[in-house]
Amino acid sequence: MAETNGVQAAVDIPADKAEILARPLEERDDIVVCENVHKWFGDFCAVRDVSMRVKRGEVVVIFGPSGSGKSTFIRMINRLEEHQQGRIVIDGIEMTNDVRNLDAIRREVGMVFQQFNLFPHITVLGNITLAPQRVRHLPRSEAEALAMRLLERVGIPEQAQKYPAELSGGQQQRVAIARALAMQPQIMLFDEPTSALDPEMIKEVLDAMRELAATGMTMLCVTHEMGFAREVADRMAFFDEGALVELGPPDQIFNNPQEDRTKLFLDQIL
Amino acid sequence: MTARAAPAPLPPATTVGLLGWLRQNLFSSRGNGAVTVVLAVVLVWFVFNLGSWVFVEADWTVIISRAPLYIVGLYPYEGYWRLCICLLLISVLLGMAWRAWPNAARRFAFGFGAVMLFVGVFPHEMAPDHRALLLLNLPLIGLGYLLTPRPADASPGRLEAMAGSALSPALERVAIFSTPRRKVIAVFVALVLTMILILGIAGVPGLDPVNPQDLGGLMINLLLAFFGIVCSLPIGIGLALGRRSSLPILKVACVIFIEVIRGVPLITLLFMSRHILPLTFPEDLNIDRVYLAGITITIFSSAYMAENVRGGMAAVHPGQAEAARALGLRDWQNTLLITLPQGLRNIIPAIVGQFISLFKDTSLVYFIGMLDLVEMGRVSVQGNQEFIDNGREVYLFIALVFWVFCFSMSFISRRIEGALGVGRR
Ligand SMILES: Nc1ncnc2c1ncn2[C@@H]1O[C@H](COP(=O)(O)OP(=O)(O)O)[C@@H](O)[C@H]1O
Ligand SMILES: [Mg+2]
Repeated sequence: MAETNGVQAAVDIPADKAEILARPLEERDDIVVCENVHKWFGDFCAVRDVSMRVKRGEVVVIFGPSGSGKSTFIRMINRLEEHQQGRIVIDGIEMTNDVRNLDAIRREVGMVFQQFNLFPHITVLGNITLAPQRVRHLPRSEAEALAMRLLERVGIPEQAQKYPAELSGGQQQRVAIARALAMQPQIMLFDEPTSALDPEMIKEVLDAMRELAATGMTMLCVTHEMGFAREVADRMAFFDEGALVELGPPDQIFNNPQEDRTKLFLDQIL
Repeated sequence: MTARAAPAPLPPATTVGLLGWLRQNLFSSRGNGAVTVVLAVVLVWFVFNLGSWVFVEADWTVIISRAPLYIVGLYPYEGYWRLCICLLLISVLLGMAWRAWPNAARRFAFGFGAVMLFVGVFPHEMAPDHRALLLLNLPLIGLGYLLTPRPADASPGRLEAMAGSALSPALERVAIFSTPRRKVIAVFVALVLTMILILGIAGVPGLDPVNPQDLGGLMINLLLAFFGIVCSLPIGIGLALGRRSSLPILKVACVIFIEVIRGVPLITLLFMSRHILPLTFPEDLNIDRVYLAGITITIFSSAYMAENVRGGMAAVHPGQAEAARALGLRDWQNTLLITLPQGLRNIIPAIVGQFISLFKDTSLVYFIGMLDLVEMGRVSVQGNQEFIDNGREVYLFIALVFWVFCFSMSFISRRIEGALGVGRR
């Protein structure tokens, strides 16, 4: 397994990718490329003309008012929503209607939802091993060993045989992270992963995400946890009314925002 | 923590005694009090009259002397032992259910055992070996219980506590119904054996085939309803999936089938299966009316089942499908592994409800000349001078039998719902 920043990676990183991860951020390749992406719901333009490039191993925090198209944007990156104009390329794979491309992209991209979306009728272990067995065709024993390793990483190996409903919200969300990681993705999407959690559980989920970021995982996180953003994000993206208004390092966003709308929004929430 | 917390305050008393309850609920105003008094008088009068009829005036000999007809129809007496064996198989399954869902099935298993005990020792005409076979049900319920391992979250039952720790390794070894797959296999084997025992196989000594016309009484109501439901489940699932599919022809075919069947009364379908469908058969093909009834009831039930399944699947949270897609599962994998299992769990109460109404609907098979429990009741009264005045007793008995079955079904379904955590995410 590759090591980055001294932390063991959650997923296997191929040797050539590991070599890229060893370089400084600006010398790495773009793993997510979005060019002039648009999305409409009926006549309503939910995402307008967004262009963004994300480096391998970069952590981008996306924030903005409710209804500004943040979810729609990151859901286009694994095709839960279809973009209608523009171009999306994930790790060199063009996002088209071709099923093979979609399968390849979904294998590259893991996702964690606000509402966890664990499968309530199977155990925690079953939730994590399902896709590795059915999609990656791992033998059961191997999938279970992988699942246990991931559960240990997120700190709840003792919950493996329970059903999701028997776990606290924070534990469920950590299972959801483990479930996504079990597919060995190169990119992780988080859509407000702590918004449905009670305050005392937010930290345990953020800790798991922090640790994941330290392993060199590429992450796109929609979140309003500004402490987390300041500490972990390489860049932050401010969305408003479907448009990407400002994109820059946390230092710029917090201390010297270039756009009035960014400043206004931050003044409201901080 | 070192300091002991102060004891939590007790909740305020919620009961204010019988009198308080009465005052609050039944006599809260003058009008309410009047209604209560009038209804109470009517109720007492009704119960008293019915009770005095049931216990004093009514003559129950017809029930006792015709009991076999009501229960198993014209089934040949030499084959009664085969039916007893079927009951034993059911006992094993009940014991298994008792162990797997203690809250849901315990009383059901007890009730079944109690009925077997009652019939087994009741002083009426019955061959001793049949009595013995009926009483054998009691230990077999226990056997089914022991063959099933204790669920992880249940505390040891009384039986195990008595057996003590010395026996528990042995108990673990005999607990062969350990996985869901083995339980399903056990149920399936029991069903197949039941069919073989009831209908018989040509050429096997002791298992002489029974003329399907001789099947009747409560047995045929239960058989038709049960196999109707069991067979309509897979068909209904297929129809529901077809209706959800994106292939237009398949979808339209399923919609037409479902809506046509749901739009026609069962009695009409039974009539057509008996008198119109055979016109399309080759001359020498002669399907017995029992099988025609079974097929018709299955088809009828499938259409309703399909709509139940569809509703259950539609109720699954859309986030489930999104999670499945995000993990790279194909649509068919999502349907089979995620949406369908959750949808089926959602509709367990609806399936039991459907079973109950199907069970009652099976009494319509009198229309194609079958002697189910209700029709057998009518025949036993009207066809016999001796009992011509006992119609009330017979129909009250029949109503009671139907009610007991339907009530226990809905009871067990509510409990299973709780055990499976339906409605819980
Ligand atoms: N499936 C949909 N159908 C119609 N409108 C939608 C749909 N999903 C989102 N929208 C609309 O698109 C806009 C952006 O939504 P979303 O991306 O969820 O915002 P955010 O995540 O930033 O709160 C909102 O106005 C929302 O109402
Ligand atoms: Mg959102």
